[in-house]
Amino acid sequence: MVSIQDFDFSYRRKPIFSGLNLRLDPGHIYGLLGQNGTGKSTLLRSLGGFLFPKRGRIDVLGFEPRRRHPAFLQQVFLLPEEFHLPPISISRWIKHTAGFYPRFSHEQFQRNITGFDVPREGSMQEMSYGQQKKLLISFALAVNAPLLLMDEPTNGLDIFSKSQFRKAIAGSLNEQQCILISTHQVKDLENLIDRILVIEEGRILFNQGMDSISRKLTFTQSFDPEQTAQALYSESTLKGNTLVLPNTEGTDSRPDLEMLYKAVILASEKINRVFKP
Amino acid sequence: MNQTFVFSRWQMLVAGHWAENRKRYLLALLAMGGLLAAWYGFLLTIDKFGPVNLFLQFTAYYCGLYFVGCFYASTIFSELGSKSRAIQYLSVPASHLEKLLCGILFGVVLFFLAYTAVFYLVDIPMVSLGNQVIARQHQHWPGTFEPIGTVQVLNLWNNPWAPIPDRKFHLFLLGYFAVQSAFLLGSVYFARWSFIKTVIGILLFWGGFIMFTDKVVNEHLPAGWHAYDMLRWYDNPDNSSVFRMVQLPDTVERLLVILVQYSIPPAFWVITYFRLKEKEV
Repeated sequence: MVSIQDFDFSYRRKPIFSGLNLRLDPGHIYGLLGQNGTGKSTLLRSLGGFLFPKRGRIDVLGFEPRRRHPAFLQQVFLLPEEFHLPPISISRWIKHTAGFYPRFSHEQFQRNITGFDVPREGSMQEMSYGQQKKLLISFALAVNAPLLLMDEPTNGLDIFSKSQFRKAIAGSLNEQQCILISTHQVKDLENLIDRILVIEEGRILFNQGMDSISRKLTFTQSFDPEQTAQALYSESTLKGNTLVLPNTEGTDSRPDLEMLYKAVILASEKINRVFKP
Repeated sequence: MNQTFVFSRWQMLVAGHWAENRKRYLLALLAMGGLLAAWYGFLLTIDKFGPVNLFLQFTAYYCGLYFVGCFYASTIFSELGSKSRAIQYLSVPASHLEKLLCGILFGVVLFFLAYTAVFYLVDIPMVSLGNQVIARQHQHWPGTFEPIGTVQVLNLWNNPWAPIPDRKFHLFLLGYFAVQSAFLLGSVYFARWSFIKTVIGILLFWGGFIMFTDKVVNEHLPAGWHAYDMLRWYDNPDNSSVFRMVQLPDTVERLLVILVQYSIPPAFWVITYFRLKEKEV
């Protein structure tokens, strides 16, 4: 579905990506993690056709994104972190926008805004930031684009809305669809993402499925100094040491994405060694 | 699916643009009409003899057209000035050509028609009011028996008071579309302050052009020869009524004038299209 080969990108003299290779397949929800300024949004915008590679090739559903062909734009939807909605009512906006997307489902859109409790009356610009975001998420999901790119989608959402967001995403994904979510709020998406991508200094530092992570790593808390010494990564907390350990006994533990992320960033070699075939 | 132009897709784009902006556009037209009426009202108050004459109508029409038209053109692609709005604008599944044609439809065609309609909606009753003032109060120029006569409504295509280039080649009217197309390009080219930056760009170009004709072309003329206009040169050593003039063949001269009259806007639109296509956000 998405293939990135030898991708180079830089802002003036600041290199962001150099020789990046990545493949995204349909039927997955990818979580894109990385520190500020590592290029998460740049990658999303490059996939959406808003930034052009300096070198290398990006192929999305057989299209070259930089050409921004209408057929490509119908199939790739980017939900940006910052957005702007026109000063008109939701019904008028939908009337004039939905027609561009052949797979748009009005029924799904109505279901989403009901689930998110978005008010239907009044101008969209009069809504709060959170309401606007929920509206745009509802629209993005109703577009049913094969590739959905989301940049920090849970920023600005309240606790109930975050839970509704997870429900809506889980309910909308089908085998032909791929969702790439860039986020710092890993906890919000813990039960949603089925593959983790970590970017650091313009390269993919970690790229594994949640199944594989569960099989090969275990996340636990312990006061045992011997166990702590064996950890690939540890962090002391008030409740003891939080540990990331190799899963040698085949126990099934739920990955703690925040810990995993820190472990990947601070002990990437050790972590990646565990995943080597 | 055609990736360059589909009429139904363009129609959707136009309908969407209108739905999002109609309130703003209608208010702007109302404000324009109000300002023009206020200006004419002021003229009627200070001049009871020749109010809203053809020259004043001509000036009001073109000053408004150039200023408002260029300002509006510089906002046509204002979405591209902000990252969040630009992403949403560029992600609408329509081609760059359709987006450009939508901009041209609103910024060039519909604006011109709406502006002209608003102008005449104010101009015709104000001229009629001016004529009533003349008929009721003065009828003759002060201190003479010469009748003032009635003031006519401005005819854009045939105005005896217009400067020669406009009377001869309609250069003021056609020049407007050329200047406005530069502002349309500016709205894609400059992310911020596009109006001011385009004004500076045009002034720099104009300054360079004057320098070129004055310092380069005139310096290379034989001794005693001077430029008559941009396409003619003359030699008049004794400052007498007899002089020699060199001019381009009529066909070439006419061709150049036609090029200046009609080729600048399409040329700028083509550049705007490529800038839009290459726009990154």
